[in-house]
Amino acid sequence: MSPLLEVEGLRVTHDGKPIVDGVDLTLAPGEALALAGESGCGKTTSALALMRLLPPSLEQSGVITLYPPGVSKPVNIGRRTETGMRLVRWRHISLVFQGAMNSLDPVQKIGKQIDEAIRLHERSPVTAEVKARITELLETVGLTAGVAGRYPHELSGGQRQRVMIALALACRPSLVIADEPTTALDVVIQAQVLQLLERLREELGLALILISHDMGVLAETCDRIAVMYAGRIVEIGTVDAVFTDPQHPYTKRLLDSLPVIGGRRGIATPIPGAPPDPGEPPPGCRFHPRCPYRRERCDVEDPALREVRPAHRSACHYAPWERWPEVEPVVATEEATK
Amino acid sequence: MSEIQAGEVGMGETLMSVSEVEVHFAARRKTARALDGVSLDWRPGEILGVVGESGCGKSTLARAMLGLQPTAEGQLSLSGGLVSSKDEQQKLRKRVQMIFQDPYQSLNPRQRVATIVTEPLRVQGVAKEKHDERVRRAMNDVGLDPDRYLDRYPHQLSGGQRQRVAIAAALVLEPEGLICDEPVSMLDASVQAQILNVLVGLQKQRGLALIFITHDLSLAWSLCDRIVVMYLGRIVEEGRAEDVIERPQHPYTQALVTAIPVAVPGGGGRRELLAGELPDPTAVPPGCRFHPRCPRRFEPCDRIDPELLDAGAPGQRAACLLHDPAAVAAAGAETAA
Repeated sequence: MSPLLEVEGLRVTHDGKPIVDGVDLTLAPGEALALAGESGCGKTTSALALMRLLPPSLEQSGVITLYPPGVSKPVNIGRRTETGMRLVRWRHISLVFQGAMNSLDPVQKIGKQIDEAIRLHERSPVTAEVKARITELLETVGLTAGVAGRYPHELSGGQRQRVMIALALACRPSLVIADEPTTALDVVIQAQVLQLLERLREELGLALILISHDMGVLAETCDRIAVMYAGRIVEIGTVDAVFTDPQHPYTKRLLDSLPVIGGRRGIATPIPGAPPDPGEPPPGCRFHPRCPYRRERCDVEDPALREVRPAHRSACHYAPWERWPEVEPVVATEEATK
Repeated sequence: MSEIQAGEVGMGETLMSVSEVEVHFAARRKTARALDGVSLDWRPGEILGVVGESGCGKSTLARAMLGLQPTAEGQLSLSGGLVSSKDEQQKLRKRVQMIFQDPYQSLNPRQRVATIVTEPLRVQGVAKEKHDERVRRAMNDVGLDPDRYLDRYPHQLSGGQRQRVAIAAALVLEPEGLICDEPVSMLDASVQAQILNVLVGLQKQRGLALIFITHDLSLAWSLCDRIVVMYLGRIVEEGRAEDVIERPQHPYTQALVTAIPVAVPGGGGRRELLAGELPDPTAVPPGCRFHPRCPRRFEPCDRIDPELLDAGAPGQRAACLLHDPAAVAAAGAETAA
């Protein structure tokens, strides 16, 4: 099947220092890809770069190609002008970001805000059709048509997040990027929103890039997962493969730290130290100062992301790992992680 | 520091007791009952989890326990003695401290770490010559080298380091209890585990009692001794952590546990989710406050407001009529599984 999105060598720099340092991705139509990793690893920056929404102080390079269904010519996102991008954003790719529910205009009714989103991104829509679409959109996300006449403060957090998803769907995009869409929500509402995203994917054939630090949320919702560390993808594969047979020590430790209800209680041994600044990564493998499995090569040679199992890639010199050795937790000094 | 060690405590002894506490907020001629008759015991050296959705009253409970929130009804006691006067409240705040969710907002950006950590000693009038030693000890306790960090400002610290400073400032008075309101929810997974290790280490080494207020049920399950589950200003279930989370007896707790995302591919599956959201606290439903959303409600639920009843394991209680044999028999409904 032809891809919906292809990303090659995406780099984002600030004053010449990389924040995202060479990301390659492909996404099939209707596929859900998870982007995992800790704060500062570059997941949000990568997502914003896909929509060319980075602030002017950041520079991006690399090739981003979108193949929207029903459009014969692929869209080269890197080359588009700002006006040209406006026809791509919301029409083809839209974004639901963290705390988005607080970014609704407080003095405008919900219906008016959706109306505006449609008019801004589509050429001369018919008013009656727009009205019908607003109702349909609100119903799609599990709200009543009456919500169109309400102000944001009259809605709960969960309802506002649903409105944001309705807004993201307003121009019928083929890809939605959701950046921590449920982080500020309670567990029940979170589960409701995730179920909604899943239903929309099925009904509308929507592709999804879901960004979250919560491995549980990602496992439940996505087909494939890319784990980022210090500006790079260190492991990518199907959710099944990565969760049952992780091939990078960072992923392994992230998964080990998750509580499994019914299993052994207690706190996992934390990964020592903090992730490095992607602008000044340590020599060799970026994870080596915190890695309990490191060996000689790791602090000198920078490992490439390579296929270690079918359709499963890892940036670890010693992958594939058939069995993870028992290790003493390393105590990284602050110097080592700086 | 407390002489009481975890594990040697008789069941009857409490560090703090909360009895039938009510907190009301005025809201447009209506009253929101943020806490609607809450009672609990917090034992010395115990890790107690308080869980529930936003708006259930868990943070209000923490504030009320420290006298930071005026109560309409109810009593607080500390080691069995009633806390009523201002003087006793001041004493309470020396023995029980609190840390908050956001380490970015809870530290004064213009003060150095040394000033922030010393402040509680000044407020409580601890003799000056003791300050230096106490501050250094608290810094060491949270794993921050005093020589490196005391002169820094909050903006020179990472999120995890700031939360450590907040904990140090709470520890400097050598309290017996620490109330932690979502202490790690803003931190990354690896930093979370580091902070939790600090807190649980303090509980193990010197019997510091902890209250964890959190919406994260798996976190509460993994580290608490006991858990209370709150819904709309009430405790609806309580018991040992394993019992409450692994074998919940209240339909609300069951719904919360079902909604936890599990790190198993496709684990969400087609689970049944609770519909709707927490009702308006100014219009608490009659009868059982959970009945409008409850998948297991039966005839009397919309008229009888259930008390906490023994259910499941020893020490486990649920405020649900399914555990009242008389109500179940009268309604001819199925008994609780």
